[in-house]
Amino acid sequence: MQIDNIVKECLDGSEGAWCMLVNAYSKRIFNMAYQFAGSFEEAEDLTQDIFLKLHSALSKYDFKKDFRAWLLTLSKNYLIDQYRKTKWEKKTRDEFDEHLLASDTEENPEIGLMKEENKRIVWSALNSLPSEIRITVILRDIQGKSYEEVAEIMSLPLGTVKSRINRGRLQLAKILKEKKEIENEV
Amino acid sequence: MKCEKIEELLSPYLEDELGPEEKRLVQEHLESCKECRLLFSSLEEARRSLFDFPELEVSEHLAERLYSIPAQKKRFRLSFDFLLRPSLQPVLAAATIFLTLISFYAFNPNRKAIDKSIDRQFHLGLNEVEKLYAKAESFTSNLGEYKDNFLVSLKNIKIFGGTEE
Repeated sequence: MQIDNIVKECLDGSEGAWCMLVNAYSKRIFNMAYQFAGSFEEAEDLTQDIFLKLHSALSKYDFKKDFRAWLLTLSKNYLIDQYRKTKWEKKTRDEFDEHLLASDTEENPEIGLMKEENKRIVWSALNSLPSEIRITVILRDIQGKSYEEVAEIMSLPLGTVKSRINRGRLQLAKILKEKKEIENEV
Repeated sequence: MKCEKIEELLSPYLEDELGPEEKRLVQEHLESCKECRLLFSSLEEARRSLFDFPELEVSEHLAERLYSIPAQKKRFRLSFDFLLRPSLQPVLAAATIFLTLISFYAFNPNRKAIDKSIDRQFHLGLNEVEKLYAKAESFTSNLGEYKDNFLVSLKNIKIFGGTEE
């Protein structure tokens, strides 16, 4: 079923259509919330809040717009608002291996270990990025969106998005370089 | 070119977004500068790490919570529907006025002056009640006399000019 029809049925009160909407987008929103907040429990609560907000905001959805981009913008706004209210940067992120390490399969164990260590450093370094930069890096480099899509979701000019992503990546690279240098010295 | 300038170009260089001239400058700089080469290598690794983050599945528990959102909202609406009944409107209006007055009193900086004024008005009212009560008492004691006089005057009334004895 087309997304517009699903939304229309949701607006008519169909719970089946709502479940279809949840099935289609919950994974994407949950992962975005987890990558942004860094805590599994927090991400579950945030996802629920975003879907509650979505349920209330559905009547305001403009059918001429792309639903996915609209939902991601709504989610991004909610995550950044919550971040400003609660200041997650003061909290630590979940340990990387707790939920994220299971799916990695590398034939060479040494390279596997190095990649694992890199991921661990980058995962915790995400917290050091300002919220607006963090979310743009997540959308581009983790979720694999094009610069144009990120610009649409962030409601920003393409140039601003590119410069934010560059700054974010550079900050992560510097942290990774520094940590590796310290490890090599040790 | 200085390292700071090159740093800004590393990310577009990684994505092959630079023009030929800038690309050549970066390449030349990377060949001669070890620090920038290490930074570029870290940039590549950081980007690969981000790309390799696995996508997690939504837990059944969370999915259930999400599915039940419309039902939850419906229940919430029903539980508060009674507040919207027209018959409750005067009560709610009175409660609003009462709460406004209470908050005005509770948060007023001159609360002591209000306390004094209320105290004074209360005692003035009490005096008035006492006076009224005293008046009422004298009235009841006089009522006996009034009753006798009233009966005597009733007896003395001559209807149709009175009767011949």
